[in-house]
Amino acid sequence: MDLHILDHRLRVTSISKNGLVNFTHPLIKLIFLRNRTRCKFFSLTETPENYTVVLDEEGFKELRPSEHLQVESAIWLPLNVVSNGSASSSSQAVGVTKIAKSVIAPLAQQHVSVFMLSTYQTDFILVKEKDLSVVVSTLEEEFNIYKEEGGESVPVHCQDVSNAIQPTVHPVLIPKNQFCVMSLDPDTLPSIATTLIDVLFYSSRFPADLLFTSSSGELWRMVRIGGQPLGFDECGIVAQISQPLADSDISAYYISTFSFDHALVPEEDIVSVTDMLQHQRNEPATS
Amino acid sequence: MSGSKPDILWSPHHPDRYVICDSELGLYRIGPVGSTEAKAGTLPLSEETAATLLAINSDTPYMKCVAWYPKHEPECLLAVGQANGRVVLTSLGQSHNSACKELVGKEFVPKHARQCNTLAWNPVDSNLLAAGLDKHRADFSVLIWDISSKLSPETSVAAEKIRLSSVDLDSSTVVTKPLYELGQNDACLSLCWLLRDPKLLLAGMHRNLAIFDLRNTSQKTFVNTKAIQGVTVDPHFHDRVASFFEGQVAIWDLRKFEKPVLTLTEQPKPLTKVAWCPTRTGLLATLTRDSNIIRLYDMQHTPTPIGDETEPTIIERSVQPCESQIGSFAWHQSSQNRMVVVSATNRVMTDFTVFERISLAWSSTTSLMWACGRHLYECVEDSAEGVESLIEKDIATKMRERAQSRYGHDTVQVWRNHLLAGGKDPQLKSLWHDLFYILSVSHMKQCAEDMELKLQGNVQSVVYSGIKNIVKTTSGTTESRRCWSGSDRQTDVPRYHSEERCLALRLCGWISRGTDTDVENFLRSLEQEHEWERAAAVALFNLDIRRAIQILNKGAMAEKGDLNLNVVAMALSGYTDEKSSLWREMCSSLRLQLKNPYLCIMFAFLTSEPGAYDGVLYESSVAVRDRVAFACMFLNDAQLPRYIDRLTLEMKEAGNLEGILLTGLTKDGVDLMESYVDRTGDVQTASFCMLKGSPGEVLKDPRVQCWIENYRNLLDAWRFWHKRAEFDIHRGKLDPSSKPLAQVFVSCNFCGKSISYSCSTIPHQGRGFSQYGVSGSPTKSKVTSCPGCRKPLPRCALCLMNMGTPVSNCQGTGKSDEKVDLTRENKLAQFNNWFTWCHNCRHGGHAGHMLSWFRDHTECPVSACTCKCMQLDTTGNLVPSDSS
Repeated sequence: MDLHILDHRLRVTSISKNGLVNFTHPLIKLIFLRNRTRCKFFSLTETPENYTVVLDEEGFKELRPSEHLQVESAIWLPLNVVSNGSASSSSQAVGVTKIAKSVIAPLAQQHVSVFMLSTYQTDFILVKEKDLSVVVSTLEEEFNIYKEEGGESVPVHCQDVSNAIQPTVHPVLIPKNQFCVMSLDPDTLPSIATTLIDVLFYSSRFPADLLFTSSSGELWRMVRIGGQPLGFDECGIVAQISQPLADSDISAYYISTFSFDHALVPEEDIVSVTDMLQHQRNEPATS
Repeated sequence: MSGSKPDILWSPHHPDRYVICDSELGLYRIGPVGSTEAKAGTLPLSEETAATLLAINSDTPYMKCVAWYPKHEPECLLAVGQANGRVVLTSLGQSHNSACKELVGKEFVPKHARQCNTLAWNPVDSNLLAAGLDKHRADFSVLIWDISSKLSPETSVAAEKIRLSSVDLDSSTVVTKPLYELGQNDACLSLCWLLRDPKLLLAGMHRNLAIFDLRNTSQKTFVNTKAIQGVTVDPHFHDRVASFFEGQVAIWDLRKFEKPVLTLTEQPKPLTKVAWCPTRTGLLATLTRDSNIIRLYDMQHTPTPIGDETEPTIIERSVQPCESQIGSFAWHQSSQNRMVVVSATNRVMTDFTVFERISLAWSSTTSLMWACGRHLYECVEDSAEGVESLIEKDIATKMRERAQSRYGHDTVQVWRNHLLAGGKDPQLKSLWHDLFYILSVSHMKQCAEDMELKLQGNVQSVVYSGIKNIVKTTSGTTESRRCWSGSDRQTDVPRYHSEERCLALRLCGWISRGTDTDVENFLRSLEQEHEWERAAAVALFNLDIRRAIQILNKGAMAEKGDLNLNVVAMALSGYTDEKSSLWREMCSSLRLQLKNPYLCIMFAFLTSEPGAYDGVLYESSVAVRDRVAFACMFLNDAQLPRYIDRLTLEMKEAGNLEGILLTGLTKDGVDLMESYVDRTGDVQTASFCMLKGSPGEVLKDPRVQCWIENYRNLLDAWRFWHKRAEFDIHRGKLDPSSKPLAQVFVSCNFCGKSISYSCSTIPHQGRGFSQYGVSGSPTKSKVTSCPGCRKPLPRCALCLMNMGTPVSNCQGTGKSDEKVDLTRENKLAQFNNWFTWCHNCRHGGHAGHMLSWFRDHTECPVSACTCKCMQLDTTGNLVPSDSS
């Protein structure tokens, strides 16, 4: 397995619900007019609390400072696991589950805080730039680590550091909403831009027949992790969710936002996931 | 959805049908304009062809890529890859009872929806259809579907955790289980099946090119590169693959897959399509975005000698099939170099044939050939006399014949060279006579130190510098008025004398020695050659009218003589210097009707005023040497250089070799020769002539060196190797600087010193190789050990004798070679004694032994050595075509 440290320096920001109007222009530019900006990494997540925007430093320049914009101080680096085509196709589990054991758990043990961004194509594990040496030394054994510099992949090795801490268990919330995950061909973006703008900035209803790609019809349920905003320093949050899912071979998407973390699990598995998480929350109390 | 990117596909089996796909599929038939003109709705594609729309299929929206089923049956089956990753089989213009009925409408659905980037049918096992998809975090990007597979039962679908929408489940034509899944967690941008093995699939993945082997899917060969788009195999060269990235095309050799063998020059705009021409080897067409030209790369692999890795040459050029921007193009499968181009917008189509490059070649013999496409043309000049005579006239034929007759090699009687050249060319005759006179004059000076002719400055250089320079320095000219010989009448014709003029006359060949102005010898030689008119003219110019008449009479009486000469003699005898006589009046007008130029100038001379001899001097059919000699006698110091300069210029412009008399072998002479070579191509004469020049400037002239090298190459091309060797020897004698330095030395195995070098340091000259038997005189004492360390020299692999020992079986003839003139056998025997080595295995021996060994064997004579020495020598098996 290969681990790629991608060539992006990312900022994690949050825009408050009522402050979105101030950012309509830069956001439309970043989403739809990709040739007008030098931003290479952009992610926007809407939650009931706020909008989380993850973007690289070039994109960050577009966002004007405002009372509605909260910025996490650290620089984050995205990691990406590449299976390298080697035959590890035994497990059907999707996404975070697959890398839970190999990446997330070891990083949690090393007290490295991670920010997860699952997408249709792949999972990005964001780590703070200052933690990079720990990350490299931790994952060196299992992965061939490459750092991307200007499109070329350069192998990386590092000196070792170590520390450990017991994670806190956070409460979870499982709303009744159903979620649908899909991907878009960049070429089709212009043709649906107006609809997307409408959905993003003006209304909240997503038209049912908008995207042709929803064919597989998979539906997902969400698990929200955290009662209080989680902050960015605590480690092991992703691990405590993804570990049990991996044990039960349940696929998942995991999306961190400014305040909380969210895991998407297949609808038919939600009962067992609920049971499992409930059990996990009771266990520390009893033991 | 993908309407902005049209594409074209030719039918694999109907040479007149193609499909255009943009937002829908359109099937067209292409035909000549005439036959389709009547019908409405035809689209003109070119001046000769037009297309008819046969069918439209808009059943498959969101098309991303299309591939045409490669086999005959079903005929018009297309696979369409959609934006959601589904692959749908569809058909165009087919009646629904056809064989593909059960296939049409079949869908192949990946587990996770994402764009289908590329499709490729397996060319052999045509049930296999490979689809390349975008990345999904837990799915494969290369799916190989079996189109003949039975529809998967729904139970297995559930087991595979595939949740299909209810609509899909209703339709019974959905296949969800691919035959092979490859490239996990990766994106596939382009695919092609390798022609060298139908089980191999080449895929352009996200960051690498990968070759998947269907027999062992867990393994793949891959190379990291950015050039992963549009992989395509050269149909003529199954190991050659092209791929591209942005504006750059990379050419790969699958046998050496680590890096591209070639990268083509980068284009400023990103490429959209790269395609090998199916009808022409090594021709690659590329198209960039927003462009109206197609760039062609012609990759030529010329077989190179062993171990000599040279870059294949690429010829790049552009074609512009139409005015508008090109959306896509497709080569025709069988029509040579033909393609259909579709514009980026409006679906404007153009039928276009790329015109083949023309390559032209002269052979070293007489023919001119050119190649265009698959046609080879030989050029034959049309003429009334037929091809044979034209070939005879050709300078290449002439030079070949002259080379065989040893033209240029007569160094004693130099003038005889024109006879060796066939003796038909008056210019060559003049040239070689000029050279003969130049050489004899300079030779005489050198040897005899002829006191009478001592001139100021360097005699030798004056002689070589031509009459033009000689008369420039003229001084001490004396004027004399002589009587007509045999009569006491005083002439009013002044005649001029000086040493330089005398030298010039000698160079003209009129007089042979000293200041002796007697031309009697010359006249006699002319009489012998039956040049009556010329002899008479020369006699007349020497004011001997009686002798002239006598010569003309002789000429009239000679065998096949012209009786008219008697009439001329009679006219001549009536000469009078009376200015207003009837004779003078009639002669000056009637002389122009005389056909022979010499007779004509005789009367011109007699009827001219003294000093105004234009009638003689500008009679161009009179030999230059005679006109110059005449000028030296009768023009004064002011007129003479002017006339000579003018004549020189004329000769130089015309490239007339007679002018060498004036220019000599100087830079002027090279200029003259240059225009002669430009006119005739006769580098042979130019080379031999310039070699005769005095050592120095002319030989250093790059033009002269160029002629000499070209002549040598020509001899090589004719396989006249002996002639070339002779020429090189000849050249070495005349131009010692042309002798190449020894570049190969034989070094001792033990001390490493060069055995020939250590010999040459010995002051006694002329030993060299001779003591090793190399020079072929076996009677002399032989050295069989290294002069440096006294260890034995290498042995002949066949006779096991050391180097330096003569070949045993020619000892008998060895005794008799005291004679200077070696016979052919002796020459061969000499060569047999030489030592030769194979550069590859380093075994060798006597040349004679080696030659006879390889007559019957292919491998080296040393046991256990399998070197095929003789075959490594590319020229070893060629036979010279001049066996002198």
